[in-house]
Amino acid sequence: MSISRRTLLRNTAALGAFAGAGLPHIWIKNADLAYAAGGEIKVGVLFSLTGTTAIIEESLNKATLLAIEEINAAGGIKGSKIVPIVEDPASDPATFSEKARKLVVGDKCVSVFGSYTSASRKAVLPVFERQNNLYWYPTLYEGRECSKNVIYTGAVPNQQQDEFVPWLVKKFGKKFYLIGSNYIYPKEENNYCKKLLEKLGGEVVAEEYVPLGHSEFSSVINKIRSTQPNVIFSTVVGDSVVALHRQYKAAGLDPEKMPMASLTTSENEVAAMGGEAAAGHFTSAPYFMVHKSPENEKFVEAYKKRWGADKVTHFVSEACYFQTYLFKQAVEKLATSDLTPPNIRDAVKGQEVIAPQGKVRIEPENLHTWLWPKIAQAKSNGQFEILVEAKDWLKPVPYAAYPGQSCTEKGLVEKS
Amino acid sequence: MPSNISNSSGLQRLIAQLAPLLIVSALVFALPVLLNNDFLLNKVARYLVLGILTISLGLSWGFGGILNLGQAMSFGLGSYAMAMALKLKTVPVHTGASGLPDFMVWNNVQHLPWFWEPFRSLSFAIAAGLLVPALVAAGLGWFMFRGRVTGVYVSIITLATMVVINLVIIDQQSYTGGFNGITDLAQLELFGVAFDAYGRATYYLVAGCVLLSLLIAFAFTKSRAGLIVQAIRDHESRVRYFGYDVALYQIFVFALSAAIAGLAGMLYTVVMEFASPTFLGVQLSLSVVVWCAVGGRQSLVGAFLGAVLVAGMQGALSESAAFLETWTLVMGALFVLVVLFLPKGLAGLAQATCRWVAQRRQAASGAVGRGVSQTEGST
Repeated sequence: MSISRRTLLRNTAALGAFAGAGLPHIWIKNADLAYAAGGEIKVGVLFSLTGTTAIIEESLNKATLLAIEEINAAGGIKGSKIVPIVEDPASDPATFSEKARKLVVGDKCVSVFGSYTSASRKAVLPVFERQNNLYWYPTLYEGRECSKNVIYTGAVPNQQQDEFVPWLVKKFGKKFYLIGSNYIYPKEENNYCKKLLEKLGGEVVAEEYVPLGHSEFSSVINKIRSTQPNVIFSTVVGDSVVALHRQYKAAGLDPEKMPMASLTTSENEVAAMGGEAAAGHFTSAPYFMVHKSPENEKFVEAYKKRWGADKVTHFVSEACYFQTYLFKQAVEKLATSDLTPPNIRDAVKGQEVIAPQGKVRIEPENLHTWLWPKIAQAKSNGQFEILVEAKDWLKPVPYAAYPGQSCTEKGLVEKS
Repeated sequence: MPSNISNSSGLQRLIAQLAPLLIVSALVFALPVLLNNDFLLNKVARYLVLGILTISLGLSWGFGGILNLGQAMSFGLGSYAMAMALKLKTVPVHTGASGLPDFMVWNNVQHLPWFWEPFRSLSFAIAAGLLVPALVAAGLGWFMFRGRVTGVYVSIITLATMVVINLVIIDQQSYTGGFNGITDLAQLELFGVAFDAYGRATYYLVAGCVLLSLLIAFAFTKSRAGLIVQAIRDHESRVRYFGYDVALYQIFVFALSAAIAGLAGMLYTVVMEFASPTFLGVQLSLSVVVWCAVGGRQSLVGAFLGAVLVAGMQGALSESAAFLETWTLVMGALFVLVVLFLPKGLAGLAQATCRWVAQRRQAASGAVGRGVSQTEGST
């Protein structure tokens, strides 16, 4: 970088100002810097390409890039191309934070699509809130968050369980064994599950949490044998899902009598464990790859064509795909000079798009998404069979387990 | 340097040894003037904090001969101490009358636990950020060094202890925020100055701590205790036969190193705006060893620069489109090359170069009819 006379002057001036003003020196940023300069709209894409969660996050990166390529191929947004800036946060919260800063402050992206784990979302949240930028989070998660700087396009507990738990009770019985990985997501899902069970007169025979990455389930399986639940309600994540399913099968347990009901097992996990181990168990989610709709056929075909015929789509990658289209629609509503992250946030409120799962909508109050709950059973060919489809889309209620609290446009409201 | 025969009064030698330290610190302080970009400064501030952490490892490994593979434990404890204080500052604003940090409410905790209470005071938190790691290290050191545990076993014990504390923090999520860590923090305010993570005040705070850590570590290595510690590193039993209490010196350097790591941890929370169990994770802890080895573990400035350069390069490589997929491989290859060809790290290379220049100069001044300037020109 060569130093022009002007930068030299500015630096010298800064030095002078600095000496005068002392340490707490505030630089006023050029706030109205054009976000759509030169017919380009820069967005960040922040999914881990290396590290422990790379396998799943790579598929999210791919679904996001596919949507961006499609939008650009169809002429971009009002003539402007979306330029994705891809960063690798390496499955590490500190690196997530560093890369988020780079995208928001350094590259001046108008939005960032990213994160799979809650830990990584929590790590970047201060960046987006402090810089008043916008983060698009595609993963199902535990709810209880009410940020004005995040668009949540994954399911929250009420959207995965309201239909699922009564259905399980009716079909299999009232005795539930709750097993999850030891962190906030499974605990919150189970908090909500217990509330539903209480209403239905159900019973929790055990509530157990295993460390993340845990792969030895023999004691859990013994306990399952001795407590004889009707349903094993699983919020185990990552590699543990694979281990749990394989060991369940090896122990000779029967999915027809004592199925696992999961909120986290998608086509991606099934591909990792093999269809045989997954067959017979149930998952509740807004999207499955086999869902029949013209939009989904188009999505699956395009995804396979772009990234390989053996690739699967799943409920998080679908959200990555449609949220990029929601971004497009929000930007279309704005004049180029008005293109700022807060304006995009306001423009996306109430936006609807026909996603592969069905028509979805951003709830203006809490910036979460109206989704179509579905219940499906895994088959030995690695795909699911959808058994129940919701008749109507379901409103996101991120504070469903906590009566008196709700997320509104003014932020979190507590009634006591 | 024994080869230095020019009339070396003690003071002159001291200045010569302090020179790299002062030059590097001056560069760190001058950077904001050269680099008119707050985003880059924020990024560099993070690398500087990692540099302080690596200085602390250099002290125990390079000078004490104690390879602590759990150095990130002290770092993480410091980070959590600061995060707890900053979290409590958000309580009236973010969580209403209940007066509890948000993650405790989520975990159905009714009252603030007793060990959180004192963190309402920032001074307490800062003291804890230094003393808790130091005391934990001293306790651990007491068991290890009194029991004459040495070498690889020290590394194994420190690594295992860190993993245990890491797991406890992840498991006790009602009190620690678990896997997500402690997030959504208030800004640090000290003496009326608000330390915004993106502001220059924070950069200068970190820069000041770099200088402080380098000076403290340097002063220790020059002190009598520091010399004994180095003697223990080179020949433990001989020092013991002289009648020194070897364990005591080892415990001291181990605890001092932990306190500096705790300081780095506190700064990390300020710069990153959260605390996470990955801050006391195996990955970071091993990275510190790599940085220290690359920079040169027997040089404090070398260790510091090793961290800043390698972490900076890691950031730059992973952000360049060409290396997006392969940057971890490139970093690994670089490390292998440095260890194979520069066993004393970059600092060793610099020292060897200086020595070579000095010898050339001596040879040149000794030789008849050869100008000094000519030799200098050729180097």
